[in-house]
Amino acid sequence: MRNNLELSIFKIVGSPLCVASGDGQKVYDRLAAALKEGWSVMLSFHNIATLTSAFLNAAIGQLYGQFNENQIRSLLKVQDIQPDDLALLKRVVETAKQYFKDPQKFDQAVRETLGGDSDDA
Amino acid sequence: MRFLLPEICHNQRGFEALVCLQAQTKDCLFDDIEIDMTTTTWFDADMCAAFGAILYRLGENVNTVKLKNIQPNVEKILSKNGFLSHYAREKIPDQWGTTIPYQRFDVKDDRYFADYIETELMHRSEMPTMSQGLLKRFRESVFEIFSNAVLHSRTEQGIFSCGQFFPKRQRLDFSVVDLGIGIRQNVKENTNLDLASEDAITWATEGRNTTKRGKIPGGLGLKLLCEFIDLNGGRIQIVSDDGYWQREKGKTITAHLSQSFPGTVVSVEINTSDTQSYVLSSELTEANIF
Repeated sequence: MRNNLELSIFKIVGSPLCVASGDGQKVYDRLAAALKEGWSVMLSFHNIATLTSAFLNAAIGQLYGQFNENQIRSLLKVQDIQPDDLALLKRVVETAKQYFKDPQKFDQAVRETLGGDSDDA
Repeated sequence: MRFLLPEICHNQRGFEALVCLQAQTKDCLFDDIEIDMTTTTWFDADMCAAFGAILYRLGENVNTVKLKNIQPNVEKILSKNGFLSHYAREKIPDQWGTTIPYQRFDVKDDRYFADYIETELMHRSEMPTMSQGLLKRFRESVFEIFSNAVLHSRTEQGIFSCGQFFPKRQRLDFSVVDLGIGIRQNVKENTNLDLASEDAITWATEGRNTTKRGKIPGGLGLKLLCEFIDLNGGRIQIVSDDGYWQREKGKTITAHLSQSFPGTVVSVEINTSDTQSYVLSSELTEANIF
């Protein structure tokens, strides 16, 4: 039985502009369904011109709330993604790991800001 | 009710004037509101987004708003960008193509907003020749601002935008405004932090801070925008509630406005002569992304 598939973001969203969280959710729904069944997924960014963190948070960042890092690393691959978009995806992934791993850490960041010792905007 | 509007520049004083208008008119209901623009000798076109949002809210309270004594130079620019079409004037052609029209969107209009940006900003022959890298980052930044408004503001009255290109100064101003709960309230509800409005804006632009809760992570949009503006040499201003926040040349200043804006304004000024490639030197590969 075939257990890998390729998903095209362009096909799912229907546009080269991947900017809305709602469109990211459509990608997430397909990815999550496939990963849940143990499928290997190749996610193609072919023909995607613009990405936002809001889109990627919904499409991919959200996966870290449902699957562990090892599952995602072993089952999900990306291709045809531009270098700067890859850098954005990496930041989204790292933010998502923190977000789901340790929600208290976000609260700690809050307290640090209150203390006025953070100036890294 | 009559309000004398001073000049509206793209700065703290301009926002101060607009929040005074908001404060004086916010309780009006079924009223005739006359905005006397005799002393409005200058109006930075992108400020139409914030001005229009305030006036739209007045319309929601079934007030009749009339703009009176508009100075010829101001009438010209506000007619060109379509703002005055909302107040019974005709839109006039924008001969030099330097305006980015005033427009209102609903939160579900993301595709419509994307079309607007592509048509009115990215594919216009009159727009300055910007490097491909700058165009991409600018486009992404504008969408980040819109997404932020959609995700965080909880606005029911929409999102407003407007822009202006200044060829000689090589600057492009663009504003996105929502009529939502504001950053201060958002931070308070999601983190229990009761900050002053300007401190809440600072908080939202720093580190890993996010008001996002639930299944979808967040907290990158404003940071990415600030990073881009720092690299580009532009300026970003945020007004939310009674907080004013500005970042330019890597330096941030904050101030407390005398009155509150009924939502959030994010206003960016882009240096269009920027020739940076924006290609990130990175050792990232598709294999080590997760």
